[in-house]
Amino acid sequence: MNPTPVPLTFRLLQAATPLLFLMVVLVFGLLEPRFFSFSNLQGILLQSTATALVAVGMTFVLLVAGVDLSVGALMFVGAALAGKLILAGQPVALALAVMLAVGVVGGTVNALLVTRLRLIAFVATLGLLHVGRGLGLWITQTRAMNLPDSFLQLGSAQWLGLPLPLWLLSVVVLAAWTLLNRTPFGRHLYATGFSEEAARKAGLPTRRIIGLAYVLCGACAGLGGMVALAQLGAVSPSFGEYYEFEAITACVLGGISLFGGRGQVFPGPILGAVLVKSLFNGLVMIQADPYLFPVITGAVIFFAVGVDSLRARWLQRWNQRPIYLTDPV
Amino acid sequence: MDIPGRRRFNVLSPELTGIMNTRTFLLRSAAVVAALTLAGCDRPEPAITSTPTISPGGADPLTIGVAFETLQTEYWVAGLDAIKASAHRRNVRVLESVADGDANRQLEQVKNFINRRVDGLIIVPKDGKTVIPMIKAANAAQIPVVLYNRPSDPTDAPHTVVAPDNFAITKATVEYLIGEARKTGRKVKALVLLGDLGDVNAMGRRDGFEAAVKEAGDAIEVVARVPTEWKQEKALAGVQSAFQANPDIGLIFTSSDFMFPSIKSVLSSQGKWKKVGEPGHVILGGFDGDATAYQLMKDGYVDATGVQDVFWESDQAVQVIAEVKDGKPAPARIEDKGFVITQANLKELESRMWGAQVANRK
Repeated sequence: MNPTPVPLTFRLLQAATPLLFLMVVLVFGLLEPRFFSFSNLQGILLQSTATALVAVGMTFVLLVAGVDLSVGALMFVGAALAGKLILAGQPVALALAVMLAVGVVGGTVNALLVTRLRLIAFVATLGLLHVGRGLGLWITQTRAMNLPDSFLQLGSAQWLGLPLPLWLLSVVVLAAWTLLNRTPFGRHLYATGFSEEAARKAGLPTRRIIGLAYVLCGACAGLGGMVALAQLGAVSPSFGEYYEFEAITACVLGGISLFGGRGQVFPGPILGAVLVKSLFNGLVMIQADPYLFPVITGAVIFFAVGVDSLRARWLQRWNQRPIYLTDPV
Repeated sequence: MDIPGRRRFNVLSPELTGIMNTRTFLLRSAAVVAALTLAGCDRPEPAITSTPTISPGGADPLTIGVAFETLQTEYWVAGLDAIKASAHRRNVRVLESVADGDANRQLEQVKNFINRRVDGLIIVPKDGKTVIPMIKAANAAQIPVVLYNRPSDPTDAPHTVVAPDNFAITKATVEYLIGEARKTGRKVKALVLLGDLGDVNAMGRRDGFEAAVKEAGDAIEVVARVPTEWKQEKALAGVQSAFQANPDIGLIFTSSDFMFPSIKSVLSSQGKWKKVGEPGHVILGGFDGDATAYQLMKDGYVDATGVQDVFWESDQAVQVIAEVKDGKPAPARIEDKGFVITQANLKELESRMWGAQVANRK
């Protein structure tokens, strides 16, 4: 039997974010031609890197129908420790390793709270958010740390003509995509997110899969923190604040379902992160009224959440029919 | 089905279910208690921080409750330290609380102070609206209230506000920057980093900036107004974007000094991070007078910053409560006129700059 072709409505819903992105780019490009300049586009990509890295990690967690609100706090704790080490004259490599380790440890704590103690992910990660921010403030004593210029250069350094943060993002996205699409773990992760109960009955180690998703999310938060720190060159008491919401926004814009089991790590969340930064960049370039910034960004997020909800309902109805979808993901 | 090597349990056995439930319950309880305890680390409950034993007149010392919305910036930490120091000098006991950005929690903390019959309250509210029930609760208990650095929305409930004149300090600072711009002999393009659009202090600074620009005629042209929500990352992205559209921006004003690192990051990457007087220098000004601004001024990169007099404001807040207890009327508003610190008067005024003291303590 030939698979039933997917209707145009669903294809449009699936392509909503790329279409929205195209529209944003075109509108800003027409209003301010310098928006299209290579240096501006590269600048937008660089501004998006930290959020995109965190969004890659958040994708794993959202795919298992979870959420991680602690990523920004983990970035802050890692940056605070890294800042202390660098100012104490320790090697930069050690500071970066500590940031990654903080992310992994934080992710492991979340994993244990969610899978072993069966706490609701929202509550468990919210708890770690508070603990992390308190710990970060304690480490910094609520004082800004300005890092040496050598550290700032890391954020703009290039290799083969491409800035280092973009290399890091490329490697992480490739690894995440491979893990999700070319390994049994990826298939198990989707299955667990789609229906944990069914996956468990099918013999999948769902606890281990969910736990690993949180650990990977923590690790990506550590990497995102590295990039943000290298670009800012300073740790303020508000470092990393609200990154969790930016990452979730990027994921939702990128078609990752908040209900779990649906979405792709590329290009979705990356495009979502770039879209949000493009909006901000474009609004600054066209000298928009400052009050319009939150209104327009909020409208785009509403649109994306609405599309996600429509897509979910449509897919649910469609799946009740005895036909095949060519590409349900 | 039996699995070799595994014990077979009847999952419906009441004994086993009971054991599992108790164990799970205990584990979950322990986790929740641990999480809440740890979460409270950044949120100290009211605690006596200075306890003089005998007051000069032999009477009981005054006790004031100090309720801060947050301690997440250097400014608030310096403010709390200054209030405690002022109280200590006046032989006043301090109970302190931090609401961690939660207005409901702050209301509970203020009610807690009222129940403990404090002699006065100093509050840094989350915003101008949510503080009104706190003022009314204190009024009902006849306890004087001082709002520190952040005024309330219009209300009939009597209270005192000790706050900087954001408008005047910013206007004076920007006027100095415009004076520096005039020296270049050309029209200078300017960028302003705004704070949170819902913060009355941020709006006062924005209005001060706009007033100075309006009076400057055609000396400068504002080409970007970036809302940062008080976030360094947004400031970084905003400055980068503004320079893409206008690579010849020659003046930047930030509504808070803590965003200077974002400006430095962009200017450094473009080879424009130059000292005052060097060719290609971008005129830089800010507001607050924090440790970063002090260091950057000392190093010669920042032209001027508007300074809030934290020590004076803190002293006034404690003094108002002491005077009300002595039967004097409470003023509705005490305004900190602040001052502008520039490269020319840095040495003379740095002892009054709270950021200089923070920087020198590090």
